[in-house]
Amino acid sequence: MMTSHPIEMRLRETAEALLRDRKVNLFLGYEKAPLPFRTAPLFITAAEEVERLVWNPFCTLNLAVYLPRLFAISAGARKAKAPPPLPTVGMVVKGCDARSVAVLIQEHQAPREKLVLVGVACQGMVDRRKAERALDAHEALGAGEDMQGNVHVVAEDGTEIILPREEIITDACLECRSPTPSIHDMLLGAPVEAKDTGAARRRTSEFESKPFDGRWAHFQEALSKCIRCNACRAACPMCYCKDCLLDQTRPRWVGAGADISDVTFYHLTRAFHLAGRCTGCGACARACPMGIDTRLLMRKLSLEVEALYGYRPGEMIDATPPLSAFSMDDSQAFLTEP
Amino acid sequence: MGQTQTAQETRSAQAWEPKVVAFLCNWCSYAGADLAGVSRIQYPPNVRIVRVPCSGRINPAFLLRALQNGADAVLVSGCHPGDCHYIRGNLVARRKFALLKELLQYAGIEPERVQFTWVSASEGGRFAAIIAKVVEQVRELGPNRKLVKTP
Repeated sequence: MMTSHPIEMRLRETAEALLRDRKVNLFLGYEKAPLPFRTAPLFITAAEEVERLVWNPFCTLNLAVYLPRLFAISAGARKAKAPPPLPTVGMVVKGCDARSVAVLIQEHQAPREKLVLVGVACQGMVDRRKAERALDAHEALGAGEDMQGNVHVVAEDGTEIILPREEIITDACLECRSPTPSIHDMLLGAPVEAKDTGAARRRTSEFESKPFDGRWAHFQEALSKCIRCNACRAACPMCYCKDCLLDQTRPRWVGAGADISDVTFYHLTRAFHLAGRCTGCGACARACPMGIDTRLLMRKLSLEVEALYGYRPGEMIDATPPLSAFSMDDSQAFLTEP
Repeated sequence: MGQTQTAQETRSAQAWEPKVVAFLCNWCSYAGADLAGVSRIQYPPNVRIVRVPCSGRINPAFLLRALQNGADAVLVSGCHPGDCHYIRGNLVARRKFALLKELLQYAGIEPERVQFTWVSASEGGRFAAIIAKVVEQVRELGPNRKLVKTP
């Protein structure tokens, strides 16, 4: 593990050069947030503002979620004879963010030529809930990073605590298979290898070893906490539909309340819509205020898509997405025969 | 009390008949079902047919919605691969179906609750045999209690 400080310096220099030379109109990054273990998204348009940019173990947010909105063309602008030019956007990307950006480019939600991707090989970002649990009775007043890249916490009574980074990074980071950005225009820091490529497979097999009713019971118990706040959908870079099926009222596919049947419908449908598109960034799980493992179903679908169609979203930008294609000899072992 | 409940359960089990919603494509499977009818092939009357233009028209939400509203199982049937009226509707659908079935199974819904097959317009016998098989499997499983929305 290494400290992120040199990368932060280089990130500021890079962003400054991009903004100063008008290579980008807007730069997306992270800034310090008032609460420990967090950062806030930052949008800067002037070179003077780069000092606000930070790079530390708390840059968990997936900034790709903002791209479809930045490049959306309004109906009025589309009709106009000379539509306003699209902005050029620079952004800092971790492995997961780069995968999400790659899928957005494939799905024509962001033009590649309007993006300047500053890649950073990621060592795993901190899950604030894990960090808070690791502190036990203590409450963090401030958190930073020590020279080894571990998390340094100052507690309410002045105690200083070091939390080893490996123990408090998010589940999605533990399962990450491409921590070095799959697409980037420049890379800050040395590439990082995936630590454990079998983590998602193990978690899935563990769940699958339960009988049908046990799986259903577990799934229902997890979802019983859901309050249908839609935060998972809002945080997901892949959920950019302007008219989401789950919001439609004619027909109303799913009730708006927290009825367990509707909640189940919501999560099954959302998972299915992400089949072959979910990049496993974990934004949904981090956004969930109830701490639901929203990635339970996505994890399985991603493995299934890889097993059946040999496709990993975000890592194969030139391949056709599996659900937009077919092959005459696709498996049909699942069919009912008389 | 325990005895009364058992008696009630026995009564409702006797009264219960599987309810299967079948989504059939207009060009092959619906015609196949029609052929089964005009050929007077007997098959269980537990199936409710919804005609769709193509198996590619199937939105997974249709199937989930049917289960939510009290279907004990859903069946989707389209043209055999290569015979689709729209050339590749069923081929694109096949990938969706494979993933959907895996997903529902993973979440704990029995694979017999959501079934997929191909029936051509000349396969009246195959249609009847498939319906018989699906109904029999669902009868063995019992009423669907998962995902059902209780008002």
